[in-house]
This record gives sequence, structure tokens and C-alpha cells, in this order.
Amino acid sequence: MNYPVWYLPEIGGGTLIALISIIHVFISHFAVGGGLYLVCAERKGLRKNDGAIIDFTRRHAKFFMLMTVVMGGITGVGIWFIIALVNPAATSILIHNFVFGWATEWVFFVVEIVAIFVYYYCFGSMDTRTHQIVGWIYFIAAWLSLFVINGIVGFMLTPGVWLADGDFWSGFFNPSFWPSLLFRTFVSLMLAGVYAFLTTAYLTDQRLKSVMTRFSAKWVLSSFLAAIPCGYWYLSTLPNQARSLAEGASPTVRIAMQYGLYTAVLMIAGTLILLLVKPAWHSRPVSFLVLASAFLFLGSFEWTREASRRPYVINEFIYSNSIVKMDLEKINRQGFLKSARWVSQRSTTEGNLLAAGRDIFMNQCYPCHTVGGINNDIAARTSFMDYPSLLNYIANIHEIRYFMPPFAGNETERKALAAYIMKGIHGKSVQFTEETPEAVEEKGKTLFETHCVLCHSEQLVKEKTASWDRKKIRWSLDNLNRLNSSMPDYTGTAEEKEQVADYIFSLQGGAR
Amino acid sequence: MNTLIPAPDAIPVSWGYFKFLLMLTFPLHLILMNSMLGSAAIALYACLKGDETSKRLAYELAKVIPFLIAFAVNLGVAALLFLQVLYGHFFYTSSIVMGAYWIAVIPLVLVAYYSAYLFDFKFSSLGKGAVALVSLSLFIFLGIAFLFSNNITFMLDPEAWNVYFAKPAGTSLNLGDPVLLPRYLHFIVGGIAVGGLFVALVGKMKRKMASDVRAAAENIGMKVFTFFTGVQVASGFWFLLSLPQDVIRLFTGGDALATLIFIAGFLLALVVLAAGISRKVYAIAVLVVPLVYIMSFMRDSVRSGYLKPHFSPESLQVLPQYSPMFLFFFVLVAGIAPVVWMLRKALGSLPQAEEER
Repeated sequence: MNYPVWYLPEIGGGTLIALISIIHVFISHFAVGGGLYLVCAERKGLRKNDGAIIDFTRRHAKFFMLMTVVMGGITGVGIWFIIALVNPAATSILIHNFVFGWATEWVFFVVEIVAIFVYYYCFGSMDTRTHQIVGWIYFIAAWLSLFVINGIVGFMLTPGVWLADGDFWSGFFNPSFWPSLLFRTFVSLMLAGVYAFLTTAYLTDQRLKSVMTRFSAKWVLSSFLAAIPCGYWYLSTLPNQARSLAEGASPTVRIAMQYGLYTAVLMIAGTLILLLVKPAWHSRPVSFLVLASAFLFLGSFEWTREASRRPYVINEFIYSNSIVKMDLEKINRQGFLKSARWVSQRSTTEGNLLAAGRDIFMNQCYPCHTVGGINNDIAARTSFMDYPSLLNYIANIHEIRYFMPPFAGNETERKALAAYIMKGIHGKSVQFTEETPEAVEEKGKTLFETHCVLCHSEQLVKEKTASWDRKKIRWSLDNLNRLNSSMPDYTGTAEEKEQVADYIFSLQGGAR
Repeated sequence: MNTLIPAPDAIPVSWGYFKFLLMLTFPLHLILMNSMLGSAAIALYACLKGDETSKRLAYELAKVIPFLIAFAVNLGVAALLFLQVLYGHFFYTSSIVMGAYWIAVIPLVLVAYYSAYLFDFKFSSLGKGAVALVSLSLFIFLGIAFLFSNNITFMLDPEAWNVYFAKPAGTSLNLGDPVLLPRYLHFIVGGIAVGGLFVALVGKMKRKMASDVRAAAENIGMKVFTFFTGVQVASGFWFLLSLPQDVIRLFTGGDALATLIFIAGFLLALVVLAAGISRKVYAIAVLVVPLVYIMSFMRDSVRSGYLKPHFSPESLQVLPQYSPMFLFFFVLVAGIAPVVWMLRKALGSLPQAEEER
């Protein structure tokens, strides 16, 4: 609201952030672990006096340089560009609070590029001892980069004491700093081995291929096994709300976690085969399979971390839609449109309801919801609702689904938003039905539509409860979270639960 | 007061430190970027010319361009960081107003960067493809510079931000601004001039290169430098005169320091031009560095002049915490040591590397 919203309704800014970050994450971790891999591979070659291994290391160094300096470096700048476009308010907070953290990281970045250039271009011409020292300098600088970035990225999920004191060091050495650093360190070593599979797959010398495949497989397996306890430690440092999200309270996170698990298993299996059973089976498809598994494994970790932060960008401080938590009350009091800078309408009137609603939608919903896009399509998510149920839902949105930020604004602005979604997007009517005596009797239906159809259609509920009796339905309304951990408990009164139970039971033709 | 200007965030140390760091790093970024642009332009010319010496000169430049890109980007990161600390609320906004174009910078740099590497690593087998690759890099550089000129002029002119409401997808450019074209031209022409100097320096300093290639580098580099510096003086005046009256007045006595900088810059430019005509490569190199700094200070005065009605960094709230800055300075000094050590070792071992290639 302080900044304009870069509005790409069909794509969504989040998708673009994800696209660039995913590429960057895979390469930047490789850039750390790969440095150590190069040094160790070179030393192995020198110790065994094996020219083929040294030659392999040199070719791998070229691949490494082209991958990390170009793709890694530019996508790193790319993340900065895209987060500033999509979430300028939070980016500004990160920049202003941690400017000297970023600046320090930049120094390591300088050392890294100089080191990798010297390492690659002087491979073979420099005396081997100096050359290895250069390799070590590279690795240390790259790891220190990780050290710094890890502090700032972790701050976003677990800002800890910073929320109270605003101190650089409190934010930097936040509660998840150490487990996250260890986890990322091992993951980066693992990726170094996985990327090496790619290079080894292209080797024609069978002896060398076998030697380097085994060498790389040991890397992957040992660092992967070391990463697992760190991952658990990391989870244990998360605040309760974030942990419950990470442990599957959100359906999307649960799916991400499952993918993470499957791919982890697949990766171990693939690596074990390469390591123990038959290094000769190593081929390009195998290396791509292992690479893809490793990507999905790390991807699911990053996705879970990002998703666990919801509804905040910086936990407990600023919401995903750039509204600062402590400003919320003031915005509710004076109205969102009057508090925001970048809106076309300054207040809601009879005539501008849809235009005002669109402004509010762009600022408060679009940060996570596309309109007709793949990611969190608002049209699909609200298709079961009508105007009254949506209006009611928006009022309690954060209570019903913790991972969505509360609505910020006054009563008429909430109506404008609901009207925009219903009429502007769905083309539905925005009239309230009159409260006739029949309608009062239909209270159960109304409640059902307000609270249940957000996630499942009437038809689905009907099918799921087909064999249930009235008593079980009533019981389930007290135990929704036990039925399915992603379902929030119903917080209505006992009387309301009776009405909803009546309604659901009536769906199967049961008498009330 | 323009109501669209976002509220800035507080800074941890006095604004002067950030201004110092910005003005320290930005000119270095300019010099590298200029060298990159000029080297690509001259490499293209040499490829097109096609005689044996020119081809070898093109290859020598092909080897250098990826390094120049790497360090131009690297120093750009530092400058952009300090820019965002002081002017982020302007810069983020202008970036969003042209968001669709702005994000294109990233894939464009990637393509230019990889073409530069292909141009280097595959040079001998490229044939006519060499012209295509180096042209691709060069035109992308020119395009990116145009996008940067758009963003920076947008950033300085909050009145122009209203175009956002008609195009919230960020598909606006600042084409209506009369300063855009002269500003862009000034940076491009100056860039190619400094790039010419860089090529001449490569010719002077790389003793391992064949003498005809070295002579060609120095010759063409100096020609480019002198010609484009001449054009640059003229384009500079066009740029100056296209600025708003309030801003021009800063350099004509309105602001003593800005006027002094302007006069010093103009005189130094004339000296450099004269040195270019008499082909004193090292003398020019020594003079061009302060010249780029002076021009950057002028550019900073222009920025201050534009933003004066809206904002000045002095007004930023400071929530003091100095320890992270001290850590940064310590790491910076400590980081220079291994860099110098590695470069010395590398230069010591390079002759062999050269023969091997």
C-alpha cells in the first residue's frame, strides 16, 4: 500500500519469485559445496598422481564456473530485482535493516569470483599448492556468503528478539540460524556431488568414470544423511504456528513435504546403486534423475519454509500483502483506501464499489492469488461462494485460515472487496436475500455455505458423509481437525453446529 | 508534496556513510561497464574488418569481456545496494512502474553473458557466428543501458508515475521525458569512449600479445577514445541543457559546489581530449578515473536537484547501530588481502597459461 502493486493477474508475482529463486537456490548451494568438491577432487588426483582425475577436475571447474558465476550470480541479482518489484515494502525492510550484512556478503562475492577465475584459468599453470589454497579461499568465501545470507533469510521466518529490540544481531542470529546453516551446508555438499554426477556421466574413460562416480556418490550419501538430523533440528526451532504449518496444517505444505520425502528416497536409492552396486550403470539419464530428485528435495524444503511463514513475509511483523501488523488497527479505523498511497479510489461510494474493490483486491489479495492463473486462482477458490458467505468469510479470514492475513479496512471496504470478487470476477449477484421465515429455517444451509464450501463443494461433503448418521455428523463438527489435519476446527456455537449437522444430514435425504 | 512517494525506512548509520559508499562504488561500476561496452563494440568492429590482426585482436577482447561483465555486475550490486538504502522508495516505485521491462534486464544479461562466453571459448570455430554473438552481447548491453536510463529518469520524476494507473502491469517507459534521450546518449557515448581507452590499455599492457595486435589495439582504442570523447563533450551540453531550469541553475552558480564540479569536469574533459589527440595512453588512463568520479558527482547533483522538492537523504530517520558497519569495513579490508594475493600469484603464473591456450 506504500508502494504500487505490479499487477499481472494471470501470472502472479509469487510465481515469478519462485521461478527465479528455484534456479538460484539450486545453483547457489552448488556454488558453496562445489568449491570443496573441487579442492578434494584435485587433491585426490594429486595424491594418487592420477592425471585423468586432475583433468576431470579441471573440466568440472569450467562447468562450475559457467554455472555459478553466470547463472548463479545473475539469478542472485534477479531475486533482488523480483522481490523489489513484487514485495518492495518487505525488500526495503531487509535492505535497510541488514544493509551492512548485504555489504559484507558482497565482499565475499568479490573474493569468490576472483578465486574461481584464478582457480580455473590458472589450472595447471600455477603450482599445485598455491592452486589448492586458491580453491580453499573460494570455498571459505562461498561458505561465508551462505553464512550471511542464511542469517537474513532465516530472519524472515524466525525474527525472534528482533521484533522487540530491532537489533541487527538479534535478527541475524535468529532462532533458526544455526540449524538452518548446518542444514544448508550439508545440502550444498550434497548438491556438489549430485552435479558431479552430471559431469561424470559424460566421461568416456570407464575407469575414471567408475572412480569419480563412487567418489561423488560418497559425497551425496554422507552429506544427505548428515542433513536429515539438521532438518529436524531446524523444524524444532520454528515457532508453534509456523511448525504446525510446516507439519502439514496447510494442504499445499503437506503435498510439498510428501514430494520431499519421495524424492529423498529416490535419491538415496539412485545414489546407492551408483555407489555400491554398479557404478557402471551410471549414465546421463541416471544423473538427470538424481539431479531432479535432489532439486525436488531441496525445493520442497524451501517451499515448506516459505509457506510456513504465511501469512507473513517477515514473521509477526509484515504480512504477505505488505501490511505491517502494528498498522492494522489504524487501517481498520481510518479505512484502507485512505491509508494506502497507490490506489485509484480514495473512498468507497455507491457508485465506485467495484473499482474500490479492485483496488483492495490488488493490494490485499493479489499478493498470493492470481485471477484465472495456475497459482491460487481466486476465481476457483471462491467459486462455491455467494456474496453473503464471502462477505462473512473475509471478516474472519485469518481466524478461519491462519495462513491468510486478516482483512485490513472498514466495513464498506469489505463489502467493496466481496462485491468485486463476486460481481467483477464471477459476474454473480451481490444482493442479500431477504430474511424470510424460510430463510431463517435455512440457517444451517447458510452456515454451511459460509464455512464449509470454501474448501469442498456440497457434493463432496454429501459423498463423504453418505454412510454417516446424524450423530456422527454432529460429532465430526466438534472434531474437524482430527478428521483431517488441514481442516480448521469449527468455532461456531453448539446451536449453530446442530443447524449445520441438520443441513448436512438432509443432503443425504435424512430427516432432521 | 506528491502523495504517491512512499515513506522511506530508517537507516542504521548517518546518511553520509551511504553517500560515500555509493559515490565510491558507482564510478567503479561505470568504468567496468564502459570497458565492457567499448570492448564489445571494438570486438565487433574487428570481427567485421576481418583481417588477420583484427581477428586476433577480437579474440584478445573476447577473452577479456566475460571478466568485465563479472566485475561490472559485481560492482553494480554494491552501488545498487547503497542506492536503495538512500533512494529505495523512489527506485522501487519507478522500477514497478516499468516492471515488465525492468525484470527483462535479468534474462537479457544472462543471454549477453553466455554469448560473451561462447564468443570467447568457441572463438576459433565460430566463423561468421562470431559477429552474431558479439553483436548480440553488444546490442543487449545497449538495450539494458536504455532500460536503466528509463528507470533512473523515472525515479527522479514522481509526477511521471501516474502512468502506472493506466498500465499497472508495468509496461510503461519514460519515453515522454525530454531528458531521456540526451541522458542515454551521454552515457553510451561516454561508455564507448572509456571502452576505447580500455582497449588501448590492453594493447599497451599485455606484453604477451603479438606486437601487431598490440599496435592495432592501441591504435583503434585511441581513435575511438578521442572521437567519442569529442562527441561526448557535445552530448554533455545537450544533456545539461535538456535538464529542468532548476537543475541547470545548480551548475551555473546556483550551487557553489555543483558549479565548481562542473567547471572542473569540463576542464578535465578538455585536457583528456587533448591527451587523446596526442595519444598519451597512460596519462589519459590516470586522468579518466578522476574524470569519471567528477562526472558521477555531477550526476549526483542532478539527482539532488530533481528530488529537492520531495526528499533529501538528510531527512532519513537514523536508528543508530554502528557495529555492523564496522564489521563490514573490517571484512572489506580483510577481503582485499586474499584478492591481492591471488591476483599476484595468478599474474605470476599466467605466461604459461597463455602458451598453453
